Amino acid sequence: MSLAGKRILIAKPGLDGHDVGAKVIALALRDAGAEVIYTGLRKSPDYIARVAIDEDVDAVGLSILSGSHVDLVRETARCLREAKADNVKLFVGGTIPHEDNPALVDAGAAGIFNASQRIDDVIAEMARVLDVG
Amino acid sequence: MSAERALSGDERRALAREISRLANASVTDMLAAPPVVAARSARRIGFTGPPGVGKSTLVGTLVERRAARGAGIAVLAIDPASPYSKGAILGDRIRMDRAADDPRVFMRSVSSRDAQDGMCNNVADMLTRLEAHGFDEIVLETVGVGQAEHAVKALVDTVVLLMQPETGDAIQALKAGILEVADIIVVAKSDLPGAARMQQQLVSTVQFGVQRSAAWTTPVLGVSVETSTGLEALEEALDAHAQWVLEHRDAGEVRHTRARYRVQDLIVRQLEHALAALTPAECDMPLAGLYSATLDRLRSTKSG
Ligand SMILES: Nc1nc2c(ncn2[C@@H]2O[C@H](COP(=O)(O)OP(=O)(O)OP(=O)(O)O)[C@@H](O)[C@H]2O)c(=O)[nH]1
Ligand SMILES: [Mg+2]
Repeated sequence: MSLAGKRILIAKPGLDGHDVGAKVIALALRDAGAEVIYTGLRKSPDYIARVAIDEDVDAVGLSILSGSHVDLVRETARCLREAKADNVKLFVGGTIPHEDNPALVDAGAAGIFNASQRIDDVIAEMARVLDVG
Repeated sequence: MSAERALSGDERRALAREISRLANASVTDMLAAPPVVAARSARRIGFTGPPGVGKSTLVGTLVERRAARGAGIAVLAIDPASPYSKGAILGDRIRMDRAADDPRVFMRSVSSRDAQDGMCNNVADMLTRLEAHGFDEIVLETVGVGQAEHAVKALVDTVVLLMQPETGDAIQALKAGILEVADIIVVAKSDLPGAARMQQQLVSTVQFGVQRSAAWTTPVLGVSVETSTGLEALEEALDAHAQWVLEHRDAGEVRHTRARYRVQDLIVRQLEHALAALTPAECDMPLAGLYSATLDRLRSTKSG
């Protein structure tokens, strides 16, 4: 599985202060060959979209544990669209109940991951969506 | 760029893609590319020093201060690639969050990928591209290992070298020939124990032997971002050095040094391809034959 040459922004919007999951994903993406940019905690969707532009990323992965994932995905997708970054794929991961999946897809998520998934499967799915799997 | 004006979204996107294109451009691509001409030159400042010494934190703080005073600033921050996966965690940005929030600032993280000198492929052209965009200042953060000190010197006007208290002594740095490269030496994290002693050692080392020019005395400054100490003094030193560059540095020599670095970047990469293309029979030849076979390959091998 290779994500060679792909640039991926891992971002934490919202108010929760735990970024262990985000860091684990960032390392796994690096080991799959991606160039990973990490923004740190509590970033606004607007800021995340701007970083996505400056860094010319192929994908943004949002790590959300606060429960407001649907709103944050929708808002980030809107900011990306406004910045004309429609080509950037949006992923979301965290503590996400299955029943929220349809709403997240509707809000703009191209991939949805929850904490119980194996990391290899997460990477494989991201690679598939980014069309390099 | 007019200092008051923030970059538009379209400008940001175009510039970001241009940097990506350069990051991915092969030797052949670069040779075929039309020249980029910068209408005026930006002030280029390079920050170098060992891993974790505090480069990004300091750059973030300085850029935030300078952008708030109206300067348009571009930051190019290089982080190392993993030798195993070729992937990278580009972690400089997280320390520059607040600076990057200023719409006058364009901040870009790049992976060093295969570059062996603490830079990234086509870095000279990235800097020119940013310059052509009209930024007032361009800040380059190097990878903290390898020969970055020497490469950065070729590319920027002012080299700021960061050293950390309690990490070996100044003599070590002197032996490695690193101090000579610096226009300004910063003892970073000067809030930590040992900083004053380190600064003392460096001052005497600089006086003792590495002074390159009578006209510029390399200052050694203690700076702590943690306690906001020494930042004014550093900015004064940066301004003083910019003035010194204007008065004393030969523009032709600077241009030629940068031209040499730029072509060296391409040749080094092409050489990698040439060496990989040598056949076992060629490798068994006597040195003179192997040497000329390599030179032949240098011309004939297709670059990646
Ligand atoms: N005590 C203290 N710690 C600092 C200071 N500046 C930075 N640090 C810490 O030093 C660590 C490394 O800082 P960075 O700015 O990432 O260092 P760097 O040189 O950019 O690191 P690389 O890019 O990985 O080589 C971080 O944990 C910072 O919080 C300072 O003034 N005082
Ligand atoms: Mg850094």
